[in-house]
Amino acid sequence: MKERTFHRLLAAVIIAGIIISLLLLIYTKHLYDNCSIISYIANGR
Amino acid sequence: MKKLTKQIAALLGTALYFAAFNFTVYENLTKRCHNQTSAEMQAKSVEVSEYLPFDANSKIAAVDSALTLSEQPPVIDGAAGLFPVYSAFVHAVYPESSVHYDGERFTPESAMQYTNTRGAYQAIAEGTIDIAVCVKPSDAQLAYAKEQGADLDFIPLGYDAFVFLVNGSNPVENLSCQQVRDIYAGKLHTWSQVGGKHLPIDAKQRNPGSGSQSAMESFMDGQDMHANPFGFLGSAIGYSFRYYVSDLVGNGGVKMLSLDGVSPTPAHIADGSYPVVSSFFAVYDRHNTHPDLPVLLEWMQSDEAQKIIADTGFIPLHPQQ
Repeated sequence: MKERTFHRLLAAVIIAGIIISLLLLIYTKHLYDNCSIISYIANGR
Repeated sequence: MKKLTKQIAALLGTALYFAAFNFTVYENLTKRCHNQTSAEMQAKSVEVSEYLPFDANSKIAAVDSALTLSEQPPVIDGAAGLFPVYSAFVHAVYPESSVHYDGERFTPESAMQYTNTRGAYQAIAEGTIDIAVCVKPSDAQLAYAKEQGADLDFIPLGYDAFVFLVNGSNPVENLSCQQVRDIYAGKLHTWSQVGGKHLPIDAKQRNPGSGSQSAMESFMDGQDMHANPFGFLGSAIGYSFRYYVSDLVGNGGVKMLSLDGVSPTPAHIADGSYPVVSSFFAVYDRHNTHPDLPVLLEWMQSDEAQKIIADTGFIPLHPQQ
């Protein structure tokens, strides 16, 4: 694999990872804001 | 070839790093926030449609009283956890034509409303409702009522246990009142300090102005509450009222703790051995001149209304009745 191709692929993986992580965190924050204390305890530890 | 292997390993390693991060977030945070009810019910927190008055399939303690109020009875509102009680009151003494529910909410002209503790205290302070069935208000709610010129009176109707909840898998079954205060004051940080696992304690609180948050502030007796910054990695404790947990929500994933060695059973609440009980009240403004208000307040303390409270699952003022 050419060095340039590798760097592009690596950048794509990192960007995708960051985007997915951010979306998961935003979704989690949304759930947390709407979560009842009972659901939180029942579904967690 | 060796270079290609390294490049593929770097790409896979990066992808795995993000996958591991997201999996950890999901397992520790996202998963525990999943609600088991619809978004609408998350807001309302009680399946209102199951406890409506004048509905043959309703789960309320239906009683047909000899008393019937006028066609324009006092507007009643209240806490989520007490909805079945005041819905049964409405069923017993309100004319059916005075209650209007459009399938999702009570319409503005309805004599029965449901805006939960915070909404009910705001409404009674502003004079848009006549009676609120709630637990005690927060200091801020009292101050707001005073600012609005309302002179609130509290008629006790019954009581219930204030309970502390943990996940069903938590090995801790009992805490002392002092341990609970120390947990919420930030003096105890891990479950191992109270006989549990080596996990941080995640001491959950409710939103300000909710009935259980006001009860918790009263329980803390002036001590400030501090969240454990690492609590989200651990195991949670929260609080609510016994009836709300065991009957209304009925979520099998949580268990109620004993306090000072006493479990929150109706018998222990009634005999006074469970250490933290909380009264609930019919709250009204002394300036209110609605002609049906004195009649309704008197009826709410009658044997008939007390039986409704007992049949619903709460502890009435006079359990022997």
